[in-house]
Parts: sequence; structure tokens; C-alpha cells
Amino acid sequence: MNRFLLLLTLSLCQLCLGQSGERLITKQGQVSFFSHTSVEDIEATNNQVLSIVDFSSQHVAISMLMRAFVFKKALMQEHFNESYIESDIYPKCSFEGKILDLERPLPQEQTKLIKGNITIHGVSKELEIKTKIENNQDKISFSGTFNLTVADFRIKIPPIVAGNISKTIEVNFSFEEYLPYEN
Amino acid sequence: MKIKIHPLVLLFSLVMFNLGHSQSLLESLEKEHEEASFPVQATFKATRIGLGQSVETRNQGGLEISANTRFWNIPEDTEAFVADRVTSRFGASYAFTDRFTLGAGVTTFDGIFDAFGKYRLIYQKTGKGSPISITLFQNASLKTNPGRSINQTDSFSEKLSFGTQLLLARKFTRNFSLQLSPTFIHRNSALSPEDPTNHFALGFGGRYRIGGHVSVTSEYYYLANPIESSNTFDAFSLGVNWELTDLMLQFYMTNSHNIADDVFITQTSNNFNTRDGNFFFGFSATILLHLKQNKVKGVK
Repeated sequence: MNRFLLLLTLSLCQLCLGQSGERLITKQGQVSFFSHTSVEDIEATNNQVLSIVDFSSQHVAISMLMRAFVFKKALMQEHFNESYIESDIYPKCSFEGKILDLERPLPQEQTKLIKGNITIHGVSKELEIKTKIENNQDKISFSGTFNLTVADFRIKIPPIVAGNISKTIEVNFSFEEYLPYEN
Repeated sequence: MKIKIHPLVLLFSLVMFNLGHSQSLLESLEKEHEEASFPVQATFKATRIGLGQSVETRNQGGLEISANTRFWNIPEDTEAFVADRVTSRFGASYAFTDRFTLGAGVTTFDGIFDAFGKYRLIYQKTGKGSPISITLFQNASLKTNPGRSINQTDSFSEKLSFGTQLLLARKFTRNFSLQLSPTFIHRNSALSPEDPTNHFALGFGGRYRIGGHVSVTSEYYYLANPIESSNTFDAFSLGVNWELTDLMLQFYMTNSHNIADDVFITQTSNNFNTRDGNFFFGFSATILLHLKQNKVKGVK
């Protein structure tokens, strides 16, 4: 009986250790967004996006600081933070989701849907993101493109500048240099 | 061989197992954010609060072109359209670095040429770091109109005045900022021997944001040793800032028609009230051009 318990304990421990062993993290993920209107194009990039992938549970999490977005014009960056995203109140944007039908072991390239919730400006929204997952000699990378609707996230845009900001924003992402995550 | 497992060990391992799972991926990720600290943005929205300078400096490559105007009526009966008198300061300033700006301007009514330098010493930070922002300001003005100056205007050197300011500001909440501006002004000459040529002043400025792009601003400059030969008053302003993308519009009521920094502090000759001759309507338009833009490489 006691041996059985020991075995159980060990295997449970193994399980949780094994879990973290399959977790990968990157701190240099890139996310950029693009708004095109006839008045002006607005583009910004964040090169310090954090992401964790857990291949055993197929879960993905992403988190970034809104202040880390760099714009072409300093004033745009100030307006983005102060008036639209309100990064003093909502400093982060995060995403939590699950890779659907992940093929394992990872082939060199697969394109899968990641279904989850994105939280921007304090508003969560369900999202399905088509993502290219590459496995190049154990170098894992995620990349893709999706669109967001500004109005979904309670972002107030005054009518006078409504012509400058597109109603849908194109978001591009690329996560590389994943390393084993030890917690 | 008999192995004894203490029930506590079992409990511990179970708890461990649970911990591993109850902590979501996102939660463990949030812990990875290093304690980030950024400079506080928009303590004031413009490089001038209303009358005087704000702690703000523009980022490198920022060219500001501004027109500051004052409109007022004179007590005599005139047939002028809208306002009897108007004065304007047309100015430009360029940010050589994020911290250092040089600028110059000319004021029409008083015939004043002025030039200034501004250096941002310290940024207030969101996380760890300074709780206040500090900027140094130095200007020089040349008063060329004899009738409208408290300086002598015989020689070039007599027409000169210098203003030095230490601008201390803090953004207390997302809507509310305050600034203290200890000021020293040296004038190269005085109209009367009893007048001091060195002046000490303390400025108080505030901003309260009332909407996305609109804020109320007010400023008051206490002058410790005004000139003796004529009556002067402390300068005051109350107004509204309205920001339209790259354009900043400022509307305010004030008791000073002078615009150059050292001049409005020392020679405001009217008290603040709504009588003709005392009430000045101020309007400033400032456009910011980004001559040097950040390189943004989008993800493809």
C-alpha cells in the first residue's frame, strides 16, 4: 500500500515537472499594428512582447505593455497612450488561448487556429487567430495576422479625428527565440 | 523493506501538483514583466501652460511653430472691429534632443525679440524613479519699443533682459498636474533709479483634463519685488487647451498683454478683471512638426 502511495506521489510530481518541461517562453516577441486611412497611415511596433506556449496542454499566453509600442511620431504615441488605450489605467494587453488540432510531434510547418480571449483596454473579446507554427530544428516560431475592430474595445475616438484612424486595425505578430521555461 | 510515507508528504505533493495547474499560463507570464518604468507623458500638453513655459520639452526633431495673440479693448471710445488692440508673438522652436530645445520669437505690439533655451533635467517616472519633472529655462529678450518698455532703450545692451526659471512639475493623477516655477529676472537697465533690476518671482501653474483632448489650465506668477516707478500687477491666466492631432489651440483670459517670458512677469500693468483695458483674450495656436521620425519596422 505504502509503495503504491510512493509511486503515486512520484508520478504526480513527475507530471507537474513534466508539464513545465514542455513550456517555452520568449521575451522578444514582436507585435505591430497598422491603420490605413486616406488621411494618414499609423503604424506601431512593440518588440518586447512576452509569450508562453505549453505544447502538452496546447495553451498559449501572450502579454505586452502598451507603453512599449513605438510610433513614427512621438505625438501619436502620446495620444495612443493618453487618450485611446489609456495605458495608465490599462497598462497591458494580453491573450490567452488554445491551439486547435495541434499536430505533434511538431512538423516543420503547420497553420492552425488559436482560439482564445484577447484583452485590450480592459475589454475581453473572443478571437480565432490563424497562426503559422514553425519548427525549424527545434527552433519554434509563431506568426500571423489578424484584424481588430476599434469599436469592440470601448476606445473613444473624437469625431474630429475619426478620419485619421481606421475602424479595423491590422495586427501582425511574430514570436521567435522560444526558450524552455522554468518556474 | 517497508517504506513509511508520512501523510504530510503526500499532502504536500498533492498541493504541489495542484499549484502547478491552478497557476494559469497568463499568470505565470505576467510575473515575467520586469518592473517597467516609463517617463510620465503629458504633464502638460503644450510647451506653454498659457502665459509661461511648462515643464514639457518635445522629442528630438520636433519643430514647433506658434502664434500667440492677445486681443483687448482700450477704455477710450473707438470704432474698431472686434477688438481695439492686438499683439502677436510669432515663434519657432526646435528640439535638438529629447531634452534640449532652442527657440526664438518676435512680438509685434511691444517690439520685443526673444530667444530661449530649455533643458529637461529630470523626467517623472511611472514606476521607480523621480516623482517630479524638472526643466531649466533661460531666455533673453530685447525690448525695442521705447514707449512700451520698463527698460531704457538707448543702447542695445540697455534693451536686454534675462529670465531664468526652474520648472518643477508633477502629474498627480491622470487628469491633474501642477507646476511651480521659481524665477529670476535680470534687466540690464531700469527707467527710474528706484526700480530694481533683479526680480524674483514664483509661478504656479495647473492643468486639469476635462475630456479626451480638452483641459483647463491656469497660471499665476507672484512677483516679489515689482518696479516702484509705476504700478504693476501679478500675471494671471485662466483658459482651455484643445488638442487637434498635431495642432494645439489655447484660449485664455488674462491680465497681461505681454507674451515673452520675462516681460509678462515684470511689467503686467493691469489687474485681472473684465473692464476694458484690463481684460485680455488670449489665443495661441501651436503646430508640431516631426522632422525626425522614429523608425518603425512592422512585422511582416
